[in-house]
Amino acid sequence: MGSKAWLVEDESAREMLDRVLTERPFLLLPPLHRVPLRVGNIVEIVGPSPSAKTHILIQAAITCILPRQWKGVNYGGLGHLAMFLDLDCRFDISRFSDLLNHRIMEAANGSSSEVDCQIKESEAQNATTKPYNEELFASCMRRFLYIRCYDSSEFLATLKTLHYRLQKERETHGVNVHVLLIDSIGAFHWIDRGSSSFSLEGDTRKSLHLQSVTETVVQEIRKLLLVHPMLVMATKAAVLGNRYSMNDSKRNYRTWSAKDNLHSRNVTSSDQQVPYREYMPAVWQSLITHRILVRTTDADFVNGEHQNVSTYLSEWLLPPLNSVDKFIVRDVRKHSCFAVFKKKNQISTLSFSCI
Amino acid sequence: MAPLKNLETEYPIIDSNFQNFCASHGIFSVEDFLIHDLYMLAAFAEQNVSSERLKEGITQILSIIDDMHQPWLNGMELLEDAKRNKHFLPTGIQGVDLLLGGGIRVGQLTELVGPSASGKTQVCLQTASNVARNYMMLYLDTGNSFSPQRIAYFLGKTNELASAQAKNQILQKVMSNILCHSVFDIFAMFDVLHQLESNLRCQERGGGCRIRLLIVDSISLLIAPVLGGTSTRGRALMASAGYLLKKLAHQHNLAVLVINHTVGSEGGTSKPALGDSWKSIPHSRLLLSCDRGSNVYNVSILKHPSMASGKAARFVI
Repeated sequence: MGSKAWLVEDESAREMLDRVLTERPFLLLPPLHRVPLRVGNIVEIVGPSPSAKTHILIQAAITCILPRQWKGVNYGGLGHLAMFLDLDCRFDISRFSDLLNHRIMEAANGSSSEVDCQIKESEAQNATTKPYNEELFASCMRRFLYIRCYDSSEFLATLKTLHYRLQKERETHGVNVHVLLIDSIGAFHWIDRGSSSFSLEGDTRKSLHLQSVTETVVQEIRKLLLVHPMLVMATKAAVLGNRYSMNDSKRNYRTWSAKDNLHSRNVTSSDQQVPYREYMPAVWQSLITHRILVRTTDADFVNGEHQNVSTYLSEWLLPPLNSVDKFIVRDVRKHSCFAVFKKKNQISTLSFSCI
Repeated sequence: MAPLKNLETEYPIIDSNFQNFCASHGIFSVEDFLIHDLYMLAAFAEQNVSSERLKEGITQILSIIDDMHQPWLNGMELLEDAKRNKHFLPTGIQGVDLLLGGGIRVGQLTELVGPSASGKTQVCLQTASNVARNYMMLYLDTGNSFSPQRIAYFLGKTNELASAQAKNQILQKVMSNILCHSVFDIFAMFDVLHQLESNLRCQERGGGCRIRLLIVDSISLLIAPVLGGTSTRGRALMASAGYLLKKLAHQHNLAVLVINHTVGSEGGTSKPALGDSWKSIPHSRLLLSCDRGSNVYNVSILKHPSMASGKAARFVI
């Protein structure tokens, strides 16, 4: 893509639309499939810990690195590169490879029923199941680029040199990076807030504290997106609180008190009044184009199987949609699917999609 | 935060002219470059007399910044590293090992939470005695809970059929493999961990017997005193400690096990201490409880990278 002209001569509007939609397609990534996403969007996935935020990122990365088609089988991916900036430093590559292998198998088998998707139990300890299709698996894994950042300096250094890295990867692989995943954006929040913010050597020198770090991060991402259009997805761990627990925490446990939370702002969702505490500075909030809230629920999942199932609720906050989706994540070693259920106004319709 | 002039010997392009130019924009060290807009700086350099040299200097700085972050890896390289280095360390407790799929994972930070007298230290000592048969380990003791007698007891239980001489040999080996440090505040822990980090880095080049397991019993006793109040320093220290532990675990292939206690929460239930900011730091969180009056323990998963929470197991120590 790179430096192709925005307008091509002698092209009708329809042709241009076709061209743009092929080069910059809309992505429907479950469970975010309510709102189509494309390059240039910056999505924030908010939720308490644990909710399935990293899982959503992993699924998006897998969709990106799978090819559209390979040896006659339709995999439905993009065949591009995915970059993962791990600020939480908790990424588990064995889980990623299990999920990728599972999706390859599923697509190859063609059907979406659970019976066909049985994978043999993984062997003891650290052995990963043998990839279903080694060559495809290896080529997909090589399109997944990963880096860890243990503090804000490393994160900023990564962003500053990302432009050259993106160019280099484009030359090596021949394809662009389509998604940039950040897990999670508020990771160094407390460390940066704790570092000194008084100015040194007069007023001309800035120091590495929360406000300057966040401003630089936003600036770098904006500049990068001008030259390398990508879909940016960032997770953010946030404290959910309904009215009870917030009052309680202020009264009894001083360890939880956030009286000095200068950046807090309560966001209430429409039907369930579930606020979450916003802590990222306003400059980051202005960068976000989409926001979705995910959280766990204790609601029973009625399908006969109770093991290895975690149920989550997701809700779009930006753009605000008036519905709550329910989805489950099942252990891929035992079962196969990531099923999404729609739930609107007490009428639940079951929509079973395996990815 | 070394000043720029220290780089002059190694990179002659960063001469005094370049340093003055940077100083005029408030940049005195490489870290300052991280929060400045380098394209704007290059634009300013254009207007300067020696613009070419200045821009070369900026490019040199960018390549120095490129060394300041971790290396980029692709999926296959990560997977190779996981297969080769990130094994499971069996705790020796059958229920726990089955639940976790083999034991405590190398490269990850595992947290064990439980109310007082729920057997947390017992699990630690049992794990220590099991791992120390084959590897060295470091035990950071915050509450004088380390007990060599208990280690000897655990070893004796599992080697019932061995001869007295063999038992003694194993005991000697295990005891020499366990390094125990008492730390009573968080800064002492940082000291020990930084020392460990530099030792491990030296050892990596030289080979030799390396530490495989790090137990902190208990980290909440170190962090809880600095948390609270209106200062954010406590949470910053807690997050830094968490990241240091995860860095040690991943880069030097250690398994890290930390102990946390519980506090009361609304409704009379209990929840893990250290708050919501700590929740997202460990890889796995396990909840331990003890049936009253017996030595049967329950362990359940609060959070795990690849397993649903709620899975539980029982065991006897």
